[in-house]
Amino acid sequence: MKQKKGDVILRLKDVWKTYRMGEVDVHALRGITVDIMRGDFIAIIGASGSGKSTMMNLIGCLDIPTKGDVFLNSQNISHLSESDLASLRGKTIGFIFQQYNLIHSMTAFENVLLPLEFLEYDDAEAKKQAKEILTLVGLTDKMHHLPSQLSGGQQQRVSIARSLAGDPDIILADEPTGALDSVTGNEVLTMLHKLWKDKKKTIIMVTHDHNIAKYAHTKIELKDGKVMKISEVEK
Amino acid sequence: MRFFKAFKHALSMVMHSKLRSWLTILGIVIGVAAVIAIVSLGQTLQQTMNTQFDALGGDLLTLRAGASQAYGFGGGRPDGSGSTSSSATTKPIVIDKTDIQVLRGIPDILVINTQISGKADLYYVAKKGSGTVTGVDPATWYRISTTKMSDGRMLGPTDSNVIVIGGRIATSFFDTNLGVNQLITINDRLFRIVGILDDSSNSIYMPINTAYEILDDKTKDVYDTVIIKVRYEDQLDATIETITNKLSIKRHVFGKKADFTISSNKERQAQRAEMTSSLTTFLTAIAAVALLVGAVGIANSMFTSVLEKTKEIGIMKAIGARNTDILAMFLMNAGLIGFIGGGLGVIFGIFLSGFLPALMGDTAGMLTRFGSSGIGTSVNTILLTLGLSIILGMLSGAIPAYKASKLRPVDALRYE
Ligand SMILES: Nc1ncnc2c1ncn2[C@@H]1O[C@H](COP(=O)(O)OP(=O)(O)O)[C@@H](O)[C@H]1O
Ligand SMILES: [Mg+2]
Repeated sequence: MKQKKGDVILRLKDVWKTYRMGEVDVHALRGITVDIMRGDFIAIIGASGSGKSTMMNLIGCLDIPTKGDVFLNSQNISHLSESDLASLRGKTIGFIFQQYNLIHSMTAFENVLLPLEFLEYDDAEAKKQAKEILTLVGLTDKMHHLPSQLSGGQQQRVSIARSLAGDPDIILADEPTGALDSVTGNEVLTMLHKLWKDKKKTIIMVTHDHNIAKYAHTKIELKDGKVMKISEVEK
Repeated sequence: MRFFKAFKHALSMVMHSKLRSWLTILGIVIGVAAVIAIVSLGQTLQQTMNTQFDALGGDLLTLRAGASQAYGFGGGRPDGSGSTSSSATTKPIVIDKTDIQVLRGIPDILVINTQISGKADLYYVAKKGSGTVTGVDPATWYRISTTKMSDGRMLGPTDSNVIVIGGRIATSFFDTNLGVNQLITINDRLFRIVGILDDSSNSIYMPINTAYEILDDKTKDVYDTVIIKVRYEDQLDATIETITNKLSIKRHVFGKKADFTISSNKERQAQRAEMTSSLTTFLTAIAAVALLVGAVGIANSMFTSVLEKTKEIGIMKAIGARNTDILAMFLMNAGLIGFIGGGLGVIFGIFLSGFLPALMGDTAGMLTRFGSSGIGTSVNTILLTLGLSIILGMLSGAIPAYKASKLRPVDALRYE
C-alpha cells in the first residue's frame, strides 16, 4: 500500500446512525461528512451523548452506518460482512479504550500477542514484535505481569502496545485518559503524540476535554450527532 | 486464527475457569464413570457367560424334576420336593431309576449321567467351610465333563472316598494350596483328592453312591439332575422331543403340563445372554441419563461463561477476531471440558469396575467364579467414551459458542 501523506485515509459521507430504543428512534449521528487525512492527529470533541463513541465505532469498523457510507482506504465498508470487517479491523486499526479493556487472564505480553494471533502471524515473528513494542512503551520489565498487577497508566500502555501490534495505519483512542490521573494521563498523551510524530500513524482520539484535545493537530467538534466545527489546533 | 492458537486459548479458558467449570467437569466425570463401569460390567458378564457355555458342550441336556421355569442368574433350580399344588400332597415329583430306564431305551441318547448335589461342611486341617458337593455317576462322568484337568485324574468306576475339586477350592478356599492325594473332611468323612479341575470353580465332585451316604435328605436312586449327552448334536430339538414324549407317557403327564424340565445349554445360553443384555441395556440407559445431565451442565456452564466473557469477546472482536475464531475457541473449550471430564471419568470408571462385583453382591458368583481376571475395560470402550464425551461437550457448547460468535462487537464492548 502506498503511504502517501496527504491523501484521505477515511471518509464519512452523510453518515447516519439510528438506534431503536423500544418505540423511539435515537439518532446518534445525523448526517456526518468528514474526510480524515492520512497522518493526521484528530481529536473528536463533544459533550457526553453527542455521538463521539458512535462515530468512533463506525470509523473503527466495529459497526456499519444506518445510512450513508464509510470509506476506509477508498473501500466502502458500509456493506462488508462481519468477517471481512473483522479482518479489516485487525489489519488497519488499533484500538485504545478508556477502560484499557485488557484480557484479565492474560499477561501484558499475551495481550499484545493476541491481535497478531488473529492475524495469523508466524509465532517467532509475533513474539519478537510483541517484545519490541512493549519495550517501546517502556514495559520491558513488566511483560509477564497480569493486568491486575499493573497500575492504570501501565495498563493503558499495554493497551497502546496492543493497538500497535498489527502495525495498523490508524489508531483509535476513545477517552484514553478518562480513567487516569492528570500526570499519567499526560504521559499517555505524550506517548500518542510521539507515535504520531515518529511512526507517522493516523491517530483519532475521542475526548470531552479541550485541554486534552490540544495534543491533537485537528479538532472535530460534535454536537447532537452533527459536526459543528473542524479546525486546526492552535499551539 | 490458527487452530493451535485457538486450542491454546480454549485450554487457558478451562485452566482459568472458576469452580463452576470444575463442577461441570465433575458432572461429566460421574456420567462417564457410570457408563464405563456399567459397560465393562456388561461386557465381562457376556464374556464369562460365553466362556462358560463354550466350555459346556452344545450336545448336553439337563433333566430335572418339576415344571419348567425360566433360568435366571440364580439358575432357578427346582428342588424336586414337589411344587405343583395338587400332586404335592400325594407323592413328591422326582426323577428316579425308572425314568433312567426309559432314557436308556432311547437310541438318540449317547450318555446318561445321574447327579445329586447338596451342601456339606468341609474341613481341612483346622480350617472349616461350607460348600456344595455334587455326586456324579463315576462311570460316565468323564464323558460329559467339559472341564480339563489341571492335575491328577477324573473319577473312575471303582472310586468311593475320593473327590475331584475345582481350581478355587484347590488354591484359595482354605487359604492354602491343596494338591492331589491330600485329604479333606466332608461331613465327617475323609476324602482323598484325586484330581483338580482346570477352572476357577468351587465345585467338589464325588461318586454318587458316596454322596448318598454323606448328604442329608437324599433318597437312593432319586436324582437331582440328569445330564444327557445326545448322539447327534444337529438333531438336538428332535431328541428333546423324543425324550419329552417318552418321559411324559411314563410319568402319565402326556398331553398335560410336564412335571419335568429338559433344558439345553444352548437354550440357557440364549436366555441368559438375553437377560444380561437387557440388564446391560437398562443400566446403560441410566448411565446415559447421567451423561446427559452432565451435558446439560456443560451447556449451562457455557451459557454463563459466554455471558461472563461478553466483554472479552467484544475486545477480541475489536482487535481482529473473526466470528469463526470465537466459535472455535468456545467450541474447543466445551470439547475440552468434555475431554477432561471424560478422561477423569474413564479413570474413575475403571477404578469403580473393580469394586462393582463386590458392591452388587456378586450375582450368583458368576463374576468371581469365571472372571478370575476381574472386570476388564476394553480399549474400545475407553476410546468410544472419550470420543463421546468430547462430541457431547462440543454439542452442548455449540449453541452458546454460536451465540458468542454472533455477538456484535459494539454491543459486547458496552456490556459490563
Ligand atoms: N447501542 C445503543 N443503543 C441505543 N442508544 C445508543 C447506543 N449507543 C449510543 N446510544 C445513544 O446515542 C447517543 C450518542 O451516544 P454516544 O455515541 O455514546 O455518545 P458519547 O460517546 O459522545 O457520549 C446517546 O444518546 C446514546 O444514549
Ligand atoms: Mg462515549
